[in-house]
Parts: sequence; structure tokens; C-alpha cells
Amino acid sequence: MIPYTDQALRHLSTRLMAQILPDIGSEYSMSDAALVGLLMNAIADEAEEGIQRRLEDISEMREIFVIAADSLTVAELELVGAELRSYRLSDVNQLHDGMTRILIELQTRNENKSEAGPEGVKDITNAIWRYLKRHAGRHTIRAIP
Amino acid sequence: MITLEEVKGAVARFLSEKWNVPVSVTAISKIFGGASRETFRLTLDVDGQSKRVIIRRDPPSSLIDTERALEYGAYEKIFPTDIPVPEPLFLEDDPSYLGQPFSVMACIDDCQTDVSTLSIEARRILGEHKYQILGRLAANNPIDLGFDSITPVPELHHCALEQLNYWRGVILDDEIHPQPIAQAAMRWLGSNLPPPAQKLAIVHGDYRTGNFLFNTQNEITGVLDWEMCHLGDPLEDLAWSLDPLWTWGEPGLAGRLLPVDEAIEIWCESSGLVCDRIALKWWRIFVALKAIAIWISSSEYFHHGEGKDSILAMAGWVMTDRQNKILLDYLMPHDLVDADLEPEPEPEREREPETEIESVKGAHQ
Repeated sequence: MIPYTDQALRHLSTRLMAQILPDIGSEYSMSDAALVGLLMNAIADEAEEGIQRRLEDISEMREIFVIAADSLTVAELELVGAELRSYRLSDVNQLHDGMTRILIELQTRNENKSEAGPEGVKDITNAIWRYLKRHAGRHTIRAIP
Repeated sequence: MITLEEVKGAVARFLSEKWNVPVSVTAISKIFGGASRETFRLTLDVDGQSKRVIIRRDPPSSLIDTERALEYGAYEKIFPTDIPVPEPLFLEDDPSYLGQPFSVMACIDDCQTDVSTLSIEARRILGEHKYQILGRLAANNPIDLGFDSITPVPELHHCALEQLNYWRGVILDDEIHPQPIAQAAMRWLGSNLPPPAQKLAIVHGDYRTGNFLFNTQNEITGVLDWEMCHLGDPLEDLAWSLDPLWTWGEPGLAGRLLPVDEAIEIWCESSGLVCDRIALKWWRIFVALKAIAIWISSSEYFHHGEGKDSILAMAGWVMTDRQNKILLDYLMPHDLVDADLEPEPEPEREREPETEIESVKGAHQ
């Protein structure tokens, strides 16, 4: 296996930017290589933390779905309760995407009944907005200024 | 991938045929950063005279699905007006020269696009010029200039909905992962359409700092990148120019140049139009959504298209991230802002003053 995958990517990025880039002839290719180096650092962050961030999202979305269980369909509830098949990124993404789609549906339904809806509707709506704010902050790409 | 030597040879042959005089290329460079077209700057020897041109070549993949004919047509129709643009020279659809269609424009020399090194005063002067030009563009009659021959003419009351539907389609077609914030924005925009446009205007579509050239006197000498040009509500361009993404790290300054309220005032004076703040609010949320659509498309092109330009990845990953935060600022209910947030290792971008954004807090309550 590749030890310290994220660090390995960062080392290669540093090598690209510090040693290979200065020897590149054209201004265009230098800019391109510099950006590739920055993107490699962003990917390194994702390699290290991406799965964990997605799992935190899934956990928080599940908490919302528990409160909003009465508003979910049987099919949605099945997906919400589904086990994660593996910690492969593709499997985590699949579950994350499925839950996000349910979240979008739930938010849409709540908006349609929010004017006359019970207080619980507002609580769920607010919980979704709080989640979206935390989700956006959690996935901030910090490697690129 | 075409080499610079191939471009040199093909352009020399093409222009020799067009101008019927000997043409050779004495210098060539590829300009970094253009995500929609490959752009080359060439110095020519035209029968003993030095001349510089810009070549815009269609790439295998593009950030924006646009017709080169629309962009070139916009340059042709704007060039005779008081809006500064580079002179369009040729549009060539035959791929036998460069492997893809391309356009040729005159080069505007001794100019730059980067405002980051300018003094505050220089930025203000440039900003005044920028919004005077945008106002003049809005004041034009697009039919008189012949824009109805290159782009559809919408009804005034359809301008907003047509744009929303178009960019909604782009998001739904190109999203790799579901986009809950963009979806919330689409629902809000669909439920809160603005009043009809006060006039039909030429909308540049990407009027922002970085898309114009300016000289050492801080005068704008060329407005560039007309590929998203269309006819519509003049507030759309104003809103796009004010998007916080273009002021990242320097909140409160429109396009990093001058305060937002001053920019709007200059635009109103120059255009003779009024800025309905409620309508502008809608357009500001819309342009943030449109931007997300563009960034999502760039990510889709990067992953599934032929081109693997780093700029596509940069736009698709980083800009989507930032634009989502901008939309959240606009849409999040007021009483939830700053609540229940995990501490971030870096300071968040400052919120713009209420007078500038007037976000739609509470819209979803």
C-alpha cells in the first residue's frame, strides 16, 4: 500500500512546484503546473479527510431524518436505514448522494407546507439549514487561497 | 493537442490567404486562464509591417456551451459603438487550419486585467469607468445594433424565467453530486420572480473585473469574453458584476474596485435606468446560481470531457465551494446565521453589509 497517501501527494506537489516548474519554458505551462500543484494539495486533503467528512454528513442527515420520519416515504426510510456497504469512496458517495436527495425532497416538502404547517416543520427546516451551513464549512477547500 | 509551431504555421497560412500578402509569425504565446477557448497571442510580420492578433480556438471541451458565432457576432455589433472591444477580424469555421474553428481579433497592446496591484484611488477610477461602460451598454437599443440577428429576443416579462430555466437545466444535466443549496436557490427564485425588465438590454453575461483590459491611465480599453452574451434584463449584468465571488477576500468592494452603492449609482446615471432593489436582490441570487451552474459544468467537463485543463478542476471544485457559501449567505434564515457552526480553522469571509446584499433571510421560514 501507499504509506501516508495524503503526505505522498503533498510531497509530489512540492516537487512539481519547487523543482520541475522552474525549468518549464513557457509561461502558460508554468501557470498550469503551479495550479496542478495546488490542486494536488487539495486532493491530498480530500484523501485524508474526505471519507470522514462524508460520514459526518451522513450522520447529521440521519439525525434530521429521525426527527422527520413521519414526512418520509417507505422507500426513503429504507435508504436512510441502509448500512454502508464499505468505506470505499464510491460506496460512501453513493449513500451520501442518496441521503442528500432525500434531504432535498424533505426541504421542498417542508417549504410547501411551511406557511400553515406545525411548529415541527419549522424545526426540521431550520435543522436542514444548519446542516447545510456545517456541510459547506466542513467541505471548504483550504489548500487553495 | 495542438503545438505552438502548428498554430504559427496555420495562422500564417490563413492570414496570408485572407489578406493576400505574405504573413509570418514572429512570436507566439498561449494565454493561461481562459476556460472557454484556447487563447493565443501572436506577433505577425504582415508584408513588412508588425501587427499583433489574438486567436481564440475552440477546445475539445469548453466551460460554457457557447456558439463561437454568438461571441464573434457580439464583437462585430459592439465594435462600432462607444463600448470598447477588440476589433474582430475573422471567424473561421473550417477546422482544416487549426483542427477546430477559431476567431481572430486585433490585439489591444500595453494593457492588463489584474487589479490587485493598483492603488485604492486607481481602483476607484477604474471602477467608475467600469460602471459607466456597463450603464452605456444597458442604455443601447439591442435591436438597433442588430443583436436580434444573433440571439433570441425575449419578452420583457420572460427575461428572468428564461434565464432561470436555462441555468437550472445546466445544473440538472451536469451535476455529479446532488446540490441541495443550489436546489434551494432554484426553488426560491422560481417562487419569487422579479417584475418584468424595465427595458430589453444587451447582457454581456460575464461582466466582471478580470474580463476587461485597462491601460496605465486606468481606462478600460477592451471588454472581453462575450460568449454568454444575450438579450435580457439589464439588472442581470449589474448583479453579476457585484457577485461576492469577484470580491473574495475584499468584501464590500464591487469587483474589488469601489463600494457597491457607488457602483450602482454610477450605473444608474450612465444608463438612465433605475435599480429596483427588490429586483436586484433576485438577480443577485440568480447570478450566484448561474455561477454555480458554470462551476458544476466545469467539474463535469473535467471528469467526463476530453479536456483535462487544470482550470476546469479549479473552477469546478473551489468555485463551487465558494459560491455555495455565497448562496447560503443569501438564503439562510436570519435567526440561524452563525448558529450551531463548528469552529473553522480559518476566518470566514466577512458578511457584506446589509445595504449591499439585503439577503433573503427568512425566505424559507
